[in-house]
Amino acid sequence: MEIKTAKNTVTKMSKRELKDNLIAYSFILPNFIGFAVFTLIPVLFSFALSFMNWDGANAITFAGFDNFARLFNDETFKIATWNTIYYAIGTVPLTMVCSLGLAVILNKNIFGRNIFRTIFFFPYVASLVAVAVVWNMIFNPAMGPVNQFLMSIGMENPPRWTASTVWAMPTVIFVSVWKNMGYYMVIYLAALQGISKDLYEAASIDGATSWQQFKSITLPMLTPTTFFVSIMLTISCFKVFDLIFMMTQGGPGRSTTVLVSHIYNIAFKEFSYGYSSAVSMVLFAIVLVITIVQFRMEKKWVSYM
Amino acid sequence: MKRIQKVLGILLTVALATTSFVGCSSGSSNTSSSSTSTSTDSSKTSETTNKDTSSAPVETKQEEVKLKWVVWDKDSTAYLQPAIDAYKQIKPNVTIELLDVSSQEYQDKLSVMLSGGADDIDIVTVKDTPGYSSMVNKKQLEPLDSYIEKDNIDLSVYSGLTDQIKMDDKIYELPFRSDFWVLYYNKNLFDQAGVAYPSNDITWNEYAELAKSLASGSGADRVYGSHHHTWRSTVQLGAILDGENSIIQEDYSFLQPMYDMILQMQKDKTIMDYASLKAGSIHYKGVFFNEQAAMLPMGSWFISTLISGIESGEADSTNWGIVKYPHPEGVEAGTTLGTITSLAINSASKQKEETWEFIKFFCGEEGANVIAQTGTLPAIKTDEVVATIANMKGFPTDENSKEALKVAKTYLEMPVNEKSSTIEQILNEEHDLIMTDSIAVDAGLKEMGKRVTEELNK
Repeated sequence: MEIKTAKNTVTKMSKRELKDNLIAYSFILPNFIGFAVFTLIPVLFSFALSFMNWDGANAITFAGFDNFARLFNDETFKIATWNTIYYAIGTVPLTMVCSLGLAVILNKNIFGRNIFRTIFFFPYVASLVAVAVVWNMIFNPAMGPVNQFLMSIGMENPPRWTASTVWAMPTVIFVSVWKNMGYYMVIYLAALQGISKDLYEAASIDGATSWQQFKSITLPMLTPTTFFVSIMLTISCFKVFDLIFMMTQGGPGRSTTVLVSHIYNIAFKEFSYGYSSAVSMVLFAIVLVITIVQFRMEKKWVSYM
Repeated sequence: MKRIQKVLGILLTVALATTSFVGCSSGSSNTSSSSTSTSTDSSKTSETTNKDTSSAPVETKQEEVKLKWVVWDKDSTAYLQPAIDAYKQIKPNVTIELLDVSSQEYQDKLSVMLSGGADDIDIVTVKDTPGYSSMVNKKQLEPLDSYIEKDNIDLSVYSGLTDQIKMDDKIYELPFRSDFWVLYYNKNLFDQAGVAYPSNDITWNEYAELAKSLASGSGADRVYGSHHHTWRSTVQLGAILDGENSIIQEDYSFLQPMYDMILQMQKDKTIMDYASLKAGSIHYKGVFFNEQAAMLPMGSWFISTLISGIESGEADSTNWGIVKYPHPEGVEAGTTLGTITSLAINSASKQKEETWEFIKFFCGEEGANVIAQTGTLPAIKTDEVVATIANMKGFPTDENSKEALKVAKTYLEMPVNEKSSTIEQILNEEHDLIMTDSIAVDAGLKEMGKRVTEELNK
């Protein structure tokens, strides 16, 4: 008898659960259809295409692992991979430090902080095309104000910025940090407001200096945000294209060619969609591995209090 | 279960975040499928027109024919409408509709449209050789040999250009416009420097000397002797005029003297610094218009730009002239580089006969006269055509400038090759390195040869 009722409640419960689930799914459905049509299917198609040869016009032929074998002999691919990693290693920590610094300063009650918050957020909403043109002018090796200034204080051969294979990447990284730090600053600001004032009060009663407070309260309390920011930044760094395309077109030579610009060239200059899909898959794999590693490490340093 | 959800969550996040590039590579398939769906509608209409017209011979039929012609920058291309109007007078039953694509993305968009099997496009304008090679490889253009044979077209009027565009011994396009490189100079700046105007026969060394003697001033007021735009062609192609080397080959050491010369001029500030031009995206037009450079090696397309610039008051360089392009020692004066713009038939078109009739008109002598009247150089350069250009309002009146329009031999800027777009990329990248002093000339040329060889043997 008892067993029967228990069984009944279980099925009843799951029926209600099922209904709830269906309602929830029906709300998700419109968005999911869009995701499936414009993202999921193209991703699967791209995956299938990486094992094929296709130029967009002639018939698709099966290539097996040829496209992936080609990667090992593709010098530009190696250069592009290295450049992408270089860009990410340069951009991620710098953006995080800058945006956190700005957020901490602008969280204090300083005069005109709303204006400053707007000023630092502004580059993020400014058109990338305009931003790239302006920075290219500023860093112009002969006529740009930066080098004019450096020469006026007696530097004979100032760096040639985007026209030099050594300085082009640092220049792009600098502009990228400048453009994106405002966005992450806002995220950090929101997190800072969420830290309870009691903690700081207690710490100052115990005589903690502001540096100690920052180190022992602010930083640990911000770890979930830092975790989120680091993942978003890493992913966006690995798929960087627009800024590089606008500022250097991958040059001089191939010194700022990144993976996505290489993919673009293979797909839309050479029309080998199969090979470009193979490179895309490699990029996908790299980002996936890095993200999984970040999630694995999460437990070690992120504290959810 | 939680674990799977989490992994799935990561996967989806990454998939979402990386959408932009994946969407990029598969975007073509999306657009192409949508363009097929639209083109099926229009193909129905073209099929019906075709049915009406195919029964009667081309000359006598009076049924309406509608041809679609894909072009770039319709509004700033002067010869399109006059050509259509002129054809309407000969064939009142033919309506030509223009499909406009922006010139920057012309080849990419055209390729995508044709890949989708756009059979509503009849006349294809071919912008450059890499685009031509790639479209022929993809079998998107109709071979014209049978048409040429049938109508007994004399290809000799194109002065050898048609031999350079054959692929597998077949010809897929007919040129209607051909531009060649000349040397523009600013007479005022020559007078100020007290230097005699260049002649119609100068070598590259004489050119470099001349440029050096013209440069003066400093800072923002500096007048440069000449101006080399950032294109690789302004340096590399001067060296192929002797006919012994091609721009697609395995050894590029023949480019060394030319690079040495240009880099020296750059060092002496005889010409502007490549890196600054590139970083500032500076157009050669402004440099010549503002009298910042006394000479400018550039294609003949700049003639009409310059004339209209002077008319509108935008250009200060009102007193100008042209002479024949500088050449290496021992090469006939008037040997120059050229680019051609051609028409071709979309292989998916349903009205190939009618399309050919228009191409025959536009690329032939009648079309050439129409094009010349708008100040553009047509591919067929009869005496009449040359006279039309030379007597155009705003064209310099001195005899040398008129003489400069007569060309001895033209080499195509980029030879026809199925790998040409990839090689173009390599040549540009290494050119960039050499011109920014990131690599020594000989090392850069070696790398260029190595990479092109690899590409050719792939």
